[in-house]
Amino acid sequence: MASLVGLRACFSALQLTSPSLLHSSIRLSAVPLCRRTYAAEAKKTYSRDKPHVNIGTIGHVDHGKTTLTAAITKVLAEAGGANFKKYEEIDNAPEEKARGITINASHVEYTTANRHYAHTDCPGHADYVKNMITGTAQMDGCILVVAGTDGQMPQTREHILLARQIGVEHVVVFINKADVVDDKEMLELVEIEIRELLTEFGYDGDNAPVVIGSALCALENRQPELGVNAVMNLLEQVDEYIPLPKRQLEKPFLLPVEGVCSIPGRGTVVTGTLERGVIKKGDECEFVGHNRSFKSVVTGIEMFHKSLDRAEAGDNLGALVRSLKREEVRRGMVMCKPGSIMPHKKIQAQVYVLSKEEGGRHKPFVSNFMPLMFSLTWDMACRVTLPEDKEMVMPGEDTSLTLTLRQPMVLEKGQRFTLRDGNRTIGTGLVTDILPVTDEDLHNWG
Amino acid sequence: MSLTFLFRTITKDFAKVNTYHVQSLHTGLQLLAADKSLLLKLRKITGYTFINCKKALETFDNDIAQAETWLNEQAQKEGWNKANKLEGRKAKEGLVGLFMGHKAAVMVEVNCETDFVARNEKFQQLVKEVAFATLAHHRNKTKSQDGYVKSVLVGDELNKLSLAEGASLSDRVALTIGRLGENLSVRRAVMVGVPAEWNIGSYVHGGVSGQTEVAMGRYGALVIFQGGADGAQQVLGRKLGQHIVGESPVSLGNMEDLPCGESETRLLPQTFLGDPSRTVAQFLRGQQARVLDFVRFQCGETTSEEAK
Repeated sequence: MASLVGLRACFSALQLTSPSLLHSSIRLSAVPLCRRTYAAEAKKTYSRDKPHVNIGTIGHVDHGKTTLTAAITKVLAEAGGANFKKYEEIDNAPEEKARGITINASHVEYTTANRHYAHTDCPGHADYVKNMITGTAQMDGCILVVAGTDGQMPQTREHILLARQIGVEHVVVFINKADVVDDKEMLELVEIEIRELLTEFGYDGDNAPVVIGSALCALENRQPELGVNAVMNLLEQVDEYIPLPKRQLEKPFLLPVEGVCSIPGRGTVVTGTLERGVIKKGDECEFVGHNRSFKSVVTGIEMFHKSLDRAEAGDNLGALVRSLKREEVRRGMVMCKPGSIMPHKKIQAQVYVLSKEEGGRHKPFVSNFMPLMFSLTWDMACRVTLPEDKEMVMPGEDTSLTLTLRQPMVLEKGQRFTLRDGNRTIGTGLVTDILPVTDEDLHNWG
Repeated sequence: MSLTFLFRTITKDFAKVNTYHVQSLHTGLQLLAADKSLLLKLRKITGYTFINCKKALETFDNDIAQAETWLNEQAQKEGWNKANKLEGRKAKEGLVGLFMGHKAAVMVEVNCETDFVARNEKFQQLVKEVAFATLAHHRNKTKSQDGYVKSVLVGDELNKLSLAEGASLSDRVALTIGRLGENLSVRRAVMVGVPAEWNIGSYVHGGVSGQTEVAMGRYGALVIFQGGADGAQQVLGRKLGQHIVGESPVSLGNMEDLPCGESETRLLPQTFLGDPSRTVAQFLRGQQARVLDFVRFQCGETTSEEAK
């Protein structure tokens, strides 16, 4: 009897490893893929302590991006890491108003064994660019979906180009609809082609993970080797291949100064919200901005009138600084780790200009337009120079711009800012490059 | 009792495992009839889908030349199939293409579903062909003229146009649909012709680089005008075109009209984009020029006829 039971267990185990067509084994087949964490049950409780990663899907409209997203949620829902969203629930890319800008995007969240993901899918190039500029759903990596039946489409080139443009460094490929393709070699050819294309655009095409499967099979509980298992495999590859974004805490500290006050008998305190990093009592610091720069030491940190030894990114704090005079610091300067950030006068930026419907201008602007630029806690007049191939910028457009500030302010690559003109916000942008200041620029500001 | 139950489950499990292995054997036996390297080569040359390339190679016993011819013949049929399947899907993106000939110009709008496709060469090639076809159509039709000609084509009139090779425009569109897998439509076209002493100004905004003959972008404007200093007409036309794209006037207005604020929709009383201290009418007087008519296309906009 006991041996018989053992034999039965053996068979079940065999079933686990060899995918079967039968429905009963589908739930089980997800189990071996959970081996990576020993506590399979723990996944059932939603936990926030997993690192968060933003990913997205790109690909041709008919190649099954949404089906794949639905399949991912279905497979993970069975493992407790997501709520199953049906195709119809995802495929609406609702208009979303993020920072006053309309973006068409659908968001789905799910949790794998190791990470928590926010998954974004946008219908068009312009939507992804808006996402990048506003930072609403910056992608740390993306899944390129290609149907095995068609192979890459002519516009796949444009998809990969987009990924490059918005700064996605890691691409994982999913070859979909493999259930309709009856011979394996053809899928290999699709794979060869897509690897070549990735390499052509400067990605590591030889080592990029390529997973072959069928999202539809996973949804319909057919052929687990192409369905559920392939989707799980894809997620494992995403877990491994797309690195974690650098956390704010690991970066050198930056405190944009919001206010300054002097406390009789103690000295001068600067207040603000710590943008990133960690400050400890006794840390050296540097004040930069408004044409000034000097070093000092943080002698005390307070939050809600309570003294702290250590403050982290996101904390709203007051910092007591050694031998600081109230007149020396003003709003708009930053307190930072010495040498970690510099003021700049001229930058290259990618800017989205709000359309009339979004509350922006209803007329175009040309070179030498002078809006106010807002970033961190400072604002400064700046002069717009259009790229050479452009004569004007229409509302609702994204464009590259050169901005020259009246006075150097703290700026770095990747910093976000807003442009305002009069009493309306006209655009939002992302610093893409720091440019050297020429004599002509200095002359122009008189 | 329990023993028989156990036995039954075992046999059932065994059967499951078995069916899987048998199945995998079965798929393993289906060997590739078409040669792999040939398939890759054919795909490279033609760009048709893998499935079709494979079918072609299998039908012609790996004869790559025959396969290619067959694929090209099939493409039209495939394109129509695809076009019928995708019909009705919303196509709001796309490009406005503008071509300037001698004293004549055409402006066309071709739509697609995503702006990714609008950035693709194959789509841009189609826009170019549509522009040329429209121009050719008008060349044949209008010979003598007193004033200027402005004719707008929409819908079926456009689809019936024939291309240089004799195929109809709708065939050409279907072919491109087959390639790109997105619904495409040639939405509207306008052709403008003027007598020798008049001029046409043009401007295209949000342009795509790489297309030299036909300017393409998200906005386009054509403007018919008289006068202007000799040699400076092109610059003048461009400035006027730019103003029309930027300020989107609805009607022409009169030279004597007084401007009524920011929301002015008549061209002549509008503040001139290139020189905010003057109105368009004042600017034109300074240049001793006169605007007779203009057309503005914005990609994906709802035209007044459609709104009705």
